[in-house]
Amino acid sequence: MSNGLQEVTEYSFSKKSDERFKELEKKFPEKNSLVLWALHLVQEDIGYVPEVAMEYVAQKTGVSKSWVSGVVTFYSMYNKKPVGKYHLQVCHNVSCWLNGSDKLEEAIKRKLNIEHGETTNDGKFTFSHVECLASCGTSPVVQVNNDYHEKMTPEKLEELIDELKQK
Amino acid sequence: MADLEKRILLQDVGKPNSHSIDVYEESGGYTALKKILIEDNKKWTPGAIIEEVKASNLRGRGGAGFPTGLKWSFIPKDSPKPKYLICNADEGEPGTFKDRVLLEDTPHGFIEGMIIAGIALDSKQGYIYIRGEFYKPWERVEQAIKEAYEKGYLGDNIFGTQHSFHLATYRGAGAYICGEETALIESIEGKRGHPRLKPPFPAVEGLYKCPTVVNNVETYAAVPHIINNGAKWYSSLSVGSEKSGGTKLFSISGHVNNPGVFEVPLGLPMIDIIEKVCGGIKNGNKLKAVIPGGSSTPILTAEEASKAIMDYEGMAAVGTFLGSGAVIVLDETTDMVELAYRVAYFYEHESCGQCTPCREGTKWVKDIMKRFKDGIGQENDLDTLCDFSQYMANGATVCPFGDAVMMAVVPIVQKFRSEFEARIDNSEDVQHKVSAAG
Ligand SMILES: Cc1cc2nc3c(=O)[nH]c(=O)nc-3n(C[C@H](O)[C@H](O)[C@H](O)COP(=O)(O)O)c2cc1C
Ligand code: SF4
Ligand code: FES
Repeated sequence: MSNGLQEVTEYSFSKKSDERFKELEKKFPEKNSLVLWALHLVQEDIGYVPEVAMEYVAQKTGVSKSWVSGVVTFYSMYNKKPVGKYHLQVCHNVSCWLNGSDKLEEAIKRKLNIEHGETTNDGKFTFSHVECLASCGTSPVVQVNNDYHEKMTPEKLEELIDELKQK
Repeated sequence: MADLEKRILLQDVGKPNSHSIDVYEESGGYTALKKILIEDNKKWTPGAIIEEVKASNLRGRGGAGFPTGLKWSFIPKDSPKPKYLICNADEGEPGTFKDRVLLEDTPHGFIEGMIIAGIALDSKQGYIYIRGEFYKPWERVEQAIKEAYEKGYLGDNIFGTQHSFHLATYRGAGAYICGEETALIESIEGKRGHPRLKPPFPAVEGLYKCPTVVNNVETYAAVPHIINNGAKWYSSLSVGSEKSGGTKLFSISGHVNNPGVFEVPLGLPMIDIIEKVCGGIKNGNKLKAVIPGGSSTPILTAEEASKAIMDYEGMAAVGTFLGSGAVIVLDETTDMVELAYRVAYFYEHESCGQCTPCREGTKWVKDIMKRFKDGIGQENDLDTLCDFSQYMANGATVCPFGDAVMMAVVPIVQKFRSEFEARIDNSEDVQHKVSAAG
């Protein structure tokens, strides 16, 4: 891929995900309930959901592959293609907009030279704008992977990006 | 000013380790459960619990405000099928961030509420559906569930009685529509979040085709307090209307000095909440408008807001809804065209796509708003938009999302029409510009 991200061509759960899956199986009377869970585990393992993983999840949960791909395309958190190591998600809904989220989007575009939905060439950063993250009282907010960064300013965001570049 | 606040659900928030079971127990946590199962178990039959919740006038805090006790009474008592309890922690309505506080900072409150509901409704299994973006809150809830199992509040034969109740989490994956209860149920079944046609209602045929109750996090969190202090006490916490019982968490954001989550009695004037609880408008600016209950509720002008009372009846009196209690305060600098565009963009993005009027209509509404934002609005756009609402609202769709779109966008246009008119382009080549803009 042009942005240096590798496509995954073979997949099965990591040991950790396999254990989690077995735990989860005990909690739901119907196996199809595990489709969303299994997809979360796939993303924890490899960051996105490739075709092979959809087949794997279908087989693990006893549903069809088209069921799984329907789920993957429906939910915005499942990445259909590889994303950068750090996924910068800027909320652009009403309260964040009122508190200056446009400036955060501009800062990312300026600093990393990527638009919404794009990844930097080194595969390090992906930028997306997202809908309300339920952090409106401490807006504007940027979610980076699992973490919320609240009351963000363009300056703090640039510092954070610099920090992540070093990692 | 803190004196309008009445912290009951939020009693522990702000204390160190407020999320731990120790802190919760120190402030009386799990005593309601003990009362029901041991100390006062003769009095607290399942029927008595439901009656108490009914008498408390607790109404669902997820947005629709349906009376909780009444909802519980719809669960069939003689069904041989298992019964399921679901906690709706999808919190996606723009402007709402109060459930996150409960999940992250005081999770045992609603967990105790769920166990009590489980006993009242003869359910042995509950699920907490948490929006996927809430990773830290989800971890906190997982930890809290673990603690409750260790203490024997969850599991088989709680306190040695014949009652069992199990709890597990489910993580969403980024779809606003999964906050709608039947879409949420589909999602727990591992499917796309397409709302179901009702009837059958979840109380009869919900999760795995079994009787199911779905309540919001805040709704469950009120239950232990109602059991501990009585329905009368809870109901009379509110000022004014008897029918809106208790306190309510408000998520307040936008142009106020002191945004945040505040617990106040239902029935206070909106203006007191903005001025006294949230420290007034930022930079000494003037109030322009308020979105009172999350982005799906009709906007109020400053004048309407100055008369508004914050309970279910008070909001209806000014033509809007209390919704999830998400108050977005807008000052005089707010560009209402941009606001309407942001709102319309959200609904287009989040339509689940199964009904044509909603799927096509949301795109169409967004496109019109985009034209105004770009300064190339058309003379007849505004009237067409307002007329069009009848095709998307009033039961034309499977779920109330279609109505929500229109309730959100049309009043902004109607109440601030001159700002939209100022963005109409009457030039001759406007058609060209419109097609160029796509
Ligand atoms: C489009 C849509 C989105 C909704 N989102 C939520 C939500 O995020 N959280 C919630 O508790 N209820 C939400 N609801 C309301 C639920 O369908 C349901 O009424 C509620 O969870 C019931 O709980 P309650 O009676 O305790 O309020 C939504 C409804 C609709 C139509
Ligand atoms: S009204 Fe919209 S969101 Fe609701 S079911 Fe129909 S298409 Fe889906
Ligand atoms: S609007 Fe951005 S978190 Fe709610």
